[in-house]
Amino acid sequence: MKKLLAFVLALALCLAAFTAVAETKVNFFTGKIETIDLLNEIIGEFNAANPGIVVEQEYQNDASSIIKVKFASGEVPDVMTTYEQEFVDQGKYLDLSDMSDWWNRLIPSMRASCTDLKTGNQYRVCTNMTMAGFFYNKEIYAALGLTPATTWDEFVANLTVIKTQMPDVTPWFIFGKEAWHLGHLIEFIPHGYLKQTLGTLECKTAMLNNDSAKLNFGAADGCMAVFAQNLLDLQANGLINEDVLTATSDNCVEAFVTGKAAMFSNGMWALSGILEANPDMADKIGFAPYPAYMPDSKPVVLCAEDSGYSISATSENVDAAKAFLTYLFSAENQKKYSETLGSPSAFTDVDANWAPAAFAAEVKSVLNSAVNIGFTNEKPAGFSGDDAGRMVQDLLAGTYDAQSFAKAYEKAWNEGF
Amino acid sequence: MQGKDYLKNIVAPVKLRRNGRKRDLTEFMSLPALLLFCTFFVYPLLKGVQMSLTDWDGMGEATFVGLANFTRFFQDSRAMGDIRTTLIFAAGSAILLNLIGLLYALLMEKPFHGRSLTRVIIYLPAIISPLIMGYIWYFLLQPGRGFLYHAMEQLGTSFQLGSWMSNYPTTMMVLIFVNVWQYAGMTMIIYLAGLQNIPTELREAAMIDGAAPWQRFTGVTLPLLLPAIRINVVTNIIGSLSVFDVIMSLTEGGPGYATESLSIYIMRMCYGSRTGYSTAVAMILFFIILIPVLISMRLTREKD
Repeated sequence: MKKLLAFVLALALCLAAFTAVAETKVNFFTGKIETIDLLNEIIGEFNAANPGIVVEQEYQNDASSIIKVKFASGEVPDVMTTYEQEFVDQGKYLDLSDMSDWWNRLIPSMRASCTDLKTGNQYRVCTNMTMAGFFYNKEIYAALGLTPATTWDEFVANLTVIKTQMPDVTPWFIFGKEAWHLGHLIEFIPHGYLKQTLGTLECKTAMLNNDSAKLNFGAADGCMAVFAQNLLDLQANGLINEDVLTATSDNCVEAFVTGKAAMFSNGMWALSGILEANPDMADKIGFAPYPAYMPDSKPVVLCAEDSGYSISATSENVDAAKAFLTYLFSAENQKKYSETLGSPSAFTDVDANWAPAAFAAEVKSVLNSAVNIGFTNEKPAGFSGDDAGRMVQDLLAGTYDAQSFAKAYEKAWNEGF
Repeated sequence: MQGKDYLKNIVAPVKLRRNGRKRDLTEFMSLPALLLFCTFFVYPLLKGVQMSLTDWDGMGEATFVGLANFTRFFQDSRAMGDIRTTLIFAAGSAILLNLIGLLYALLMEKPFHGRSLTRVIIYLPAIISPLIMGYIWYFLLQPGRGFLYHAMEQLGTSFQLGSWMSNYPTTMMVLIFVNVWQYAGMTMIIYLAGLQNIPTELREAAMIDGAAPWQRFTGVTLPLLLPAIRINVVTNIIGSLSVFDVIMSLTEGGPGYATESLSIYIMRMCYGSRTGYSTAVAMILFFIILIPVLISMRLTREKD
C-alpha cells in the first residue's frame, strides 16, 4: 500500500514538474485602466483555449515610469502597452514589421503612425484610433444659435456670447491642476500648427533633429507666443474658468454634465466618464476641431494611434506572445475592445458601436473637414508633455507674458533635447 | 556545570588575542547586523556616489562625467527654486510643529475630563497616509469648490484664501498648515513623554519658592525638556526637508514648479531619464538635511 502511495505521489510530482516545464508564461504589462476587466476576460478565454500558455496581466497606474524600472532591472514583460521613442532607439522592442496578418487588416494611416521614423520598421501595433478636440454642449450652442468655430476670432466670439448670455456657464473649462491637460493644449494647438504647416513627416524630422529654424518656438510672432497670448487674453476676459489652476478633470466632467461648462478640450477617452456621470448627455455632446489660430493655419483635430501593443526584443516567449496578440486582435475581440475603450477600431474589419451614433457621426465629419494630426512621439526625453503643461500653469499664474513664455519654452525644449 | 564546560570548549578555540586583549565569540555577534547594514546602507550609498558621477539614464551605458551633475545642479534655476521651497517649508514646519506640539503637550498634561480622547483625536491624523491627507485637504480647500474654502469665505475677508494656488506665500502657508496639522500630534506625544519624566518635586519646589508660571516653565520645564526638543527638532527637520507626499497631493509642486520640493525634483529627474543627475541631487539633499540636523544636535547638546 505504501509503495503504491509513493508511486502515485511520485507520478503526480513528475506530472506537475512536466506541466510546469511545458507551461509558457507570457507577462503582459499595461497602463490602460479602462480595459483591465475586458482583458482579463479575453485572457481567461485565451488561456483556456491554449493549454501550455498562461498570459498574466499586470496593471500599473504609472506604467510609463514603472516600465523604465522594469527595463533597468531586466524584468521585462513579454507584451506591453507602453511605448517610448527612447526604448525604440535602444532596441527594446521586437520588430513586428513582418506580421502581415495584422497589418493587412489595419487602416493604412494607422500603420504609418506605428512606423518608427528612423528605421522604417513597426515595433507596435495600435488597435484603436483616438481623437481629440473640443467637446461642446449642443443644447447650449443651439439655444444661443452658435456653430462650432473654425477660426480663433469665431471661437472667441462664441465664448463671449456664452459668457454674456449665460453668465453662470463657464465658456471654456480648463482643468489646469492636471499638467498633462495643459501639455495637451500645447500638443494640439501650437504643435498642431507646426504639423499642419510642415507636414507630419517633416515636422517629426524637425523635432527629432531639433531643427530650430523650422520649429522656431521662441519667435515673438511664432506659434508658441501667439498661443500664449490667446490664452492670456481668454483668462483676462473671463472666458475660461477662474479656478483654472486648481480644477481637476472630475470637476470638468461634473461642470459639463450639469450644463455649467459649455465646452472643454479632451480626447475620446473622456467620453465614457461623461456618459457614466450623466447618460442623458448622449445626444447632447458635440465635437469640434481646434480652430485655426494663425494667419496661415486651418482647424486641426488629433487623430492618432491609440492602445499600442509591443513585444519585448528580449522575450523568450515570442511565439506565445504573438499567439496571444493574434487572439486579442481578432475582429470579435476588437469589437468588444473598441466599445469598452470608447474609441473607433484601427482594424478595417471591426464594426463597433464605440459611441452614441450622433456623436460618432459628428466626429467622422470633423475628421473629414479638419487637418488630422498625430501625437508628438519625437519630443526630447528631458522635456515631457507634463513639463510643457507646468509651463502653461506658470503662464496662467502670471509668471510669464506671451513673449517670455515662448522664449522659455524654446529654452526648455533645447535643454531637454 | 556540564553545559558551562561545553560552552568553554566551543568558545576557547576561537579566542583571539590582539593588542594583548582577549576577544571571544560574543564580539562577532554584531557581524550579521553589520553585514545587513553594509548591504542595505553602505553599499547603496557607495553605489549612489558612483552613479552621481555618471550621466546614466537608467537603462543605457553610464559615462563618467566627474562633478558635472553637481555643478549643473547649482546652475539650474528650477533646482535653486526647489531648494528655497524646501527650506521655507522645513523652517516653517519645524518651528510650528514644535511650538504647537509643545502647546498641545502642556495642555494635555493637565488632568481634565476626556483628556485621553482628546489626545487620541490630536494624534489621529499622524496615522493617516500623508498622500491621502493631502487629497482630503485639497477637496476641503479647493478654490471655489471646497467646503472649508466656502466656510472661510463666509467668515470675512481676512479668512479668504482666494485662488491660493496662484499666490506663492498662500500656497506655502497652506502646505505648512496641512503638514503641521497632521504631525503636531506626534510631536505632542514626544513632549508629553518628556514632561512626564520631569520630577514633580522640582516644579513643586519652584512653586514653593514663589516662581511664577512663566518662570517655572522657562527655568525648570524647558531645560529639562531638552532631550525631547532635540528629538522633535531633528525628526521634524528630516521629515520636512524630505517632504514629498503632502506637496504632491495638494499642488503637485505647482503651479509650474513654484512649490516643487527637492524630493519631487529628484523623482521627476529620475523618471525623466536623468538617473545619474537625480542621484547627485539626492546626495546634495543628504547634506542639506545633515547640516541643520548636526547644528541643532550640537546646540541642544551644549545646552544639556
